[in-house]
Amino acid sequence: MALDDNQGIWKSGKGKGRHTPKGRQLDDLALAEVRAILGNRPRRRDLLIEFLHLLQDSYGHLSARHLRALADELRLSMAEVWEVATFYAHFDPIREDETPPPDLTIRVCESLSCELAGSEALIAALEAGHDPSRIRVLRAPCMGRCDTAPVLEIGHRHVDHATVEAAQAVIDAGDFHAVIPSYETLAAYRDAGGYKTLQALRDSGDVEQVQDRLLEAGLRGLGGAGFPSGRKWSFVRANPGPRYLAVNGDEGEPGTFKDRYYLERTPHLFLEGMLIAAWGVEAETCFIYMRDEYPAVRQILLQEIAALEEAGIVPQGYIDLRRGAGAYICGEESAMIESIEGKRGIPRHRPPFVAQVGIFNRPTLVHNVETLHWVARICREGPQILNSVEKNGRKGLRSYSVSGRVARPGVYLLPAGSTITDVIAAAGGMAEGHAFKAYQPGGPSSGLLPASMHDIPLDFDTLQPHGTFIGSAAVVVLSDHDSARDAALNMLRFFEAESCGQCTPCRVGCEKAVKLMQADRWDQPLLEELCTTMTDASICGLGQAAPNPIRLTIKHFPQEV
Amino acid sequence: MSDKITFILDGKEVQADSGQTIWEVANGRGLIIPHLCHKPAPGYRPDGNCRACMVEIDGERTLAASCIRTPTEGMVVRTDSARATSARKMVVEMLLADQPERAAAHDRSSHLWDMADANGVTESRLPTKDADHIPLLDDSHVAMRVNLDACISCGLCVRACREVQVNDVIGMAGRGQNAYPVFDMSDPMGQSSCVGCGECVQACPTGALMPATMVDAAQQGDSKDFDEAVKSVCPFCGVGCQVSLKIKDGKVRAVEGINGPANEGRLCVKGRFGFDYIHHPHRLTKPLIRREGAPKGLNVDPGNPMTHFREATWDEALDMVAQSFKSLSANGRGRAIAGFGSAKCSNEEAYLFQKLIRQGFGHNNVDHCTRLCHASSVAALMENVGSGAVTATFNQIEHADVAIVIGSNPVENHPVAATYFKQFAKRGGKLIVMDPRGVGLRRHATHMLQFKPGADVSMLNAIMNVIVEEGLYDQAYIEKFTENWEAEKAHLAKFTPEAMAPICGIPADQLRAAARTFAKGKAGMIFWGMGVSQHIHGTDNSRCLISLALMTGNIGKPGAGLHPLRGQNNVQGASDAGLIPMFLPDYQPVTDDAVRSNFSRLWNSGDFSGEKGLTVTEILDAVHAGSIKGMYILGENPAMSDPDVTHARHALSKLECLVVQDIFLTETANYADVILPAAAFYEKNGTVTNTNRQVQMGRAAVTPPGEAREDWLIITQLAQRLGLDWNYTHPGQIYTEMAKGMKSLANITWERLENEGAVTYPSLSPTDPGQPIVFADGFPREGGRAKFTPASVIPPNELPDADYPFVMTTGRQLEHWHTGSMTRRSRVLDTVEPEANCSIHPATLHRLGVMPGGNVRLVSRRGAITVMARADRAVAENMVFVPFAYVEAAANILTNPAVDPYGKIPEFKFAAVRIERAQEQMPAE
Repeated sequence: MALDDNQGIWKSGKGKGRHTPKGRQLDDLALAEVRAILGNRPRRRDLLIEFLHLLQDSYGHLSARHLRALADELRLSMAEVWEVATFYAHFDPIREDETPPPDLTIRVCESLSCELAGSEALIAALEAGHDPSRIRVLRAPCMGRCDTAPVLEIGHRHVDHATVEAAQAVIDAGDFHAVIPSYETLAAYRDAGGYKTLQALRDSGDVEQVQDRLLEAGLRGLGGAGFPSGRKWSFVRANPGPRYLAVNGDEGEPGTFKDRYYLERTPHLFLEGMLIAAWGVEAETCFIYMRDEYPAVRQILLQEIAALEEAGIVPQGYIDLRRGAGAYICGEESAMIESIEGKRGIPRHRPPFVAQVGIFNRPTLVHNVETLHWVARICREGPQILNSVEKNGRKGLRSYSVSGRVARPGVYLLPAGSTITDVIAAAGGMAEGHAFKAYQPGGPSSGLLPASMHDIPLDFDTLQPHGTFIGSAAVVVLSDHDSARDAALNMLRFFEAESCGQCTPCRVGCEKAVKLMQADRWDQPLLEELCTTMTDASICGLGQAAPNPIRLTIKHFPQEV
Repeated sequence: MSDKITFILDGKEVQADSGQTIWEVANGRGLIIPHLCHKPAPGYRPDGNCRACMVEIDGERTLAASCIRTPTEGMVVRTDSARATSARKMVVEMLLADQPERAAAHDRSSHLWDMADANGVTESRLPTKDADHIPLLDDSHVAMRVNLDACISCGLCVRACREVQVNDVIGMAGRGQNAYPVFDMSDPMGQSSCVGCGECVQACPTGALMPATMVDAAQQGDSKDFDEAVKSVCPFCGVGCQVSLKIKDGKVRAVEGINGPANEGRLCVKGRFGFDYIHHPHRLTKPLIRREGAPKGLNVDPGNPMTHFREATWDEALDMVAQSFKSLSANGRGRAIAGFGSAKCSNEEAYLFQKLIRQGFGHNNVDHCTRLCHASSVAALMENVGSGAVTATFNQIEHADVAIVIGSNPVENHPVAATYFKQFAKRGGKLIVMDPRGVGLRRHATHMLQFKPGADVSMLNAIMNVIVEEGLYDQAYIEKFTENWEAEKAHLAKFTPEAMAPICGIPADQLRAAARTFAKGKAGMIFWGMGVSQHIHGTDNSRCLISLALMTGNIGKPGAGLHPLRGQNNVQGASDAGLIPMFLPDYQPVTDDAVRSNFSRLWNSGDFSGEKGLTVTEILDAVHAGSIKGMYILGENPAMSDPDVTHARHALSKLECLVVQDIFLTETANYADVILPAAAFYEKNGTVTNTNRQVQMGRAAVTPPGEAREDWLIITQLAQRLGLDWNYTHPGQIYTEMAKGMKSLANITWERLENEGAVTYPSLSPTDPGQPIVFADGFPREGGRAKFTPASVIPPNELPDADYPFVMTTGRQLEHWHTGSMTRRSRVLDTVEPEANCSIHPATLHRLGVMPGGNVRLVSRRGAITVMARADRAVAENMVFVPFAYVEAAANILTNPAVDPYGKIPEFKFAAVRIERAQEQMPAE
């Protein structure tokens, strides 16, 4: 048959067509590698972040070919995997046309306490001293070790009171694993009567009674929101099961390290408190969302959860330890829930509240680590452990994370009515050569107060009249060596970097604020307008509280701006 | 849902329905609260992220996004407080800080600028973003431009892609000020898995995503820069999406989806970007007459037909056609003339065409492409249900909890219908996908049964066997509404999953699981496509599906039903209108004297033959045999679409008079003696009926080029020359006459369709929008009962053997429709899919020593083609998939013309072929 009878003569796109279906193709080798790493783990979407960690840990980055294979394995789209991989700071998603990061990464904390302790100079020295193709130096937000500022992390190994020399020593030694501190093990805890309370409650406890004790003790959410803990249980229990419990271990508010303090010492107090709360709301599963900046805590928990399973205190898998991936926003409870579901950590709208619609759209009790620590202690020792302490008209105890220009930074358990004067005193007074100038009462979200406001009890409710709040009680003390303006800019830079980007007032507001705050003279009316909209219109607390440092600096340190 | 909530809005007591948002209540009262990330359109969930719609609620610490907030009893809401107003204004000011200047905007008429105006904001006092944080232009896609410097990260494109179309290409990557939409893994749009539906472009409120046709080289444009907008219906597949055509300087400039009953604003790449074929220089603009002695063959360049044809006046051409037909057919009363009508024209034109053949030539040799797509489905439906149309619209899947999609690749062939299927699966509906190919729905499937080609009956019988054995059938329904159950039950006994597993290739436990999932659903739908119908056992395949629906009681209730997905925009309407050799309009048998006399009365004519006419393939056989000498082919392309197309082309070349009426010089027109230039769909008024039984109004948006005329007018003028007393001057007159002969169109008048755009039949009253579900109280069969017709396993006609070891299956691709005459002349569609290709599993290619993209030679007992091989793991290792749109490697040169005995549909889905590594050769061009 003649050619023209067969093919027509008008059309041929020869050589122009795609050789495959649209988009990046699945690579068989990459799929095999991903399968090998995932092993027999269930291919659940909510485990996506866990799987990304496995790949990142094994290969040092997340290659597009592995992510493509992972998407296929989880029956997700490429975009769903990519957007999660690019949301969290601890992942390095690398496209085919990009260069993977070097084997070693040094993360240097640049949050306020570390900045006060010289992190900028440290970063500059490290950058100058290392070939970026072999070792990369990254700026990172608070690592929860503000008492040993400046801090850096090489691999998973933290270097306290960091210097170039100390970093080099770690690099030379080549051990990049976390250092596990000694802590109270399950055996020791049980020897001291641990888990008997849990057992008694499980046998014949009365939930109402436990809730009443918590209320009587005055226990409030110690993540910063201060919601009465006992009442929270009722809200969750009011919704039909199945219900979940989620522990917010994403202690990201710069300056805060109290949760780490307790977890690295007495993890079982927390775990027993968690299991009591889980018993209280009949939780199907306890999720612990632990920030990735605490690798030692993670090791401790992995080990102790296994011990609990071994001891038959919890069934296998009942406690699901999840690993954050470097996102401050995941300390916001609904963002944390999104992250537990394997997604980007973007806060949800309220209503509905997570007590009604939480993990997997089920009622969820969310507690901070320290709150659960106190749940156990109240149940074991009685409400008077808290309510018998009274100071300046305030009841209870507060774990202040104290850093900055004090002589002995650290966690101090003080009466909840303590003033900054008391807190500084507990921390050994001001550091030598420093005069008290200002303080951050509860993380950057709380902004800055001047030294003149030294007589306010640092507790829930007492700071609101002054345009701030206690939050997680992350107290950073500034001295006459420090600039309030620089501190405020440090805080806004942090919010700018950590804004999830979901809502305009926070995403754009933080970025614009940082720019306006770099001007020689602040455009105060415009900044105030910006602040008002951020406070009024942001979806979550990050954007709503981000203006606090700006406003309080304008109010109390007008000469600096 | 009837609970009303009373609250105070700007000082007035107002009521909200349960679930209604503050924004919706305000909007319903005529107050438009500014909004950016909220798109008040079906399928779009409010997201509350842009914060442009903030309102103040008494007693709340912060403002609330009205788009996502539902009021509670007694709530006091202020949209007009100073706090709310200034927040809304500041939000817009924040966003404008980083927008390109309005004068240089990608879309000067964007929704964002409208909202800026509404807030009284013209510029921003805030500093602009650092340049290195702003993404660069992405112009990698032929149809769309991505300028994220205008992006406000509102996520509407993500919702459009992920939740509305469920194409899952766009994600919101990064975070904070670096949170931007990306394609796949930050890939250029044109290299991503983007299917080009353009939903994101339609949703984008800023012009960051724009149709390429709406921006200039400097990326500046204006989405409102058109002279008029005309509502019509997409001319491609059977989904029947309603469109708004933006006309500028007499040409279509852009297309948007509008809220039609089938598409609710959605479109696919063909509907949105494939419109420009009507402006292609190949359009026929004058009647053409074959030059004396010009050889007939596939030898004409549509860009330069004058080598074989000469231009003629309409009078000369029509006179010549009339003269030839009269002389060939004993003065117009004879079987030597046959007609192929079109499923791409309007109902009125389909009706006129069959009327012309029947009234003009006195016989029923008129058919159209339904023969090649769903003839077997219709045969089975007519036999067992009493009606050939769908029992429920595809949109009913919204109410289903389980659905089967078998032998259908809706993601490519009915993309907008597929969006509903994917949404169903996303909502938790159990989707059972059955196909020898791992089609695009696979990722969304609860059960994926990738069975052996041609093994439908064994698989379906096994599933029904499980339902019988495990007592999962609906006894009450069966007793009330069906007949022949005992015979079916007895027949199924031997089709155990264990016995069928080796035949269909699906393990017995998977067959059981699928059976249980379907039978235990509360409401289930069954969708099928040509993978079911285009087999020699196509009718049996459909019988099984009907039986499966009947035994589970899944007909006549919300979320349940049988739905063969129709291929062409008007294949339902053309069939309804009687473009079938055995049926008059509404499937009334031509063999019935009373029916015929009704029509001869309506037509004011004498009787015509009571003998069933010949089908498409039979007509071409009759041409070969010499009994048919003249053909009138309107808008069909048998030189591409028929099985064993070499045989069909020979037949066409043998005709003494072939008249082809079309918009392009198609492969069929290559063989024509006279070519009549027709108007394209967007140049005509007329109704079309989609797969959902929705009769919709198509409206002329532009004028036909040159002397091209509407098909109904050409048919009328030809009829007049054949001596028929026709005097239609408007399609409305034709519709009204047609409706007189069709009970199905009761209550559906031309005027209604003009006003309402769409009415579903049956419509029970002049105001009833139509019944999406039929047969709730019985079937249009004797006794009102549907019938179980047992089906036995029949192997495909041509099984693979040592010489031809592969199974070839044919079908369509997303970008190309039917024989490619339209889509290959669309710039976007042709650019995305420019080259004849076939899909082969990478392992098979490896075995053959062919690189992906290399050429293979496919050889069947009918012929051979050389074609580029695409590595595609969706295809089984012993198969090759060949799309049939490419003339230079026409799949139908290879296909097997064996037909189903009932539907007379050829076995396009199964031919034995050999795959050889091709010798590289020079391009044919």
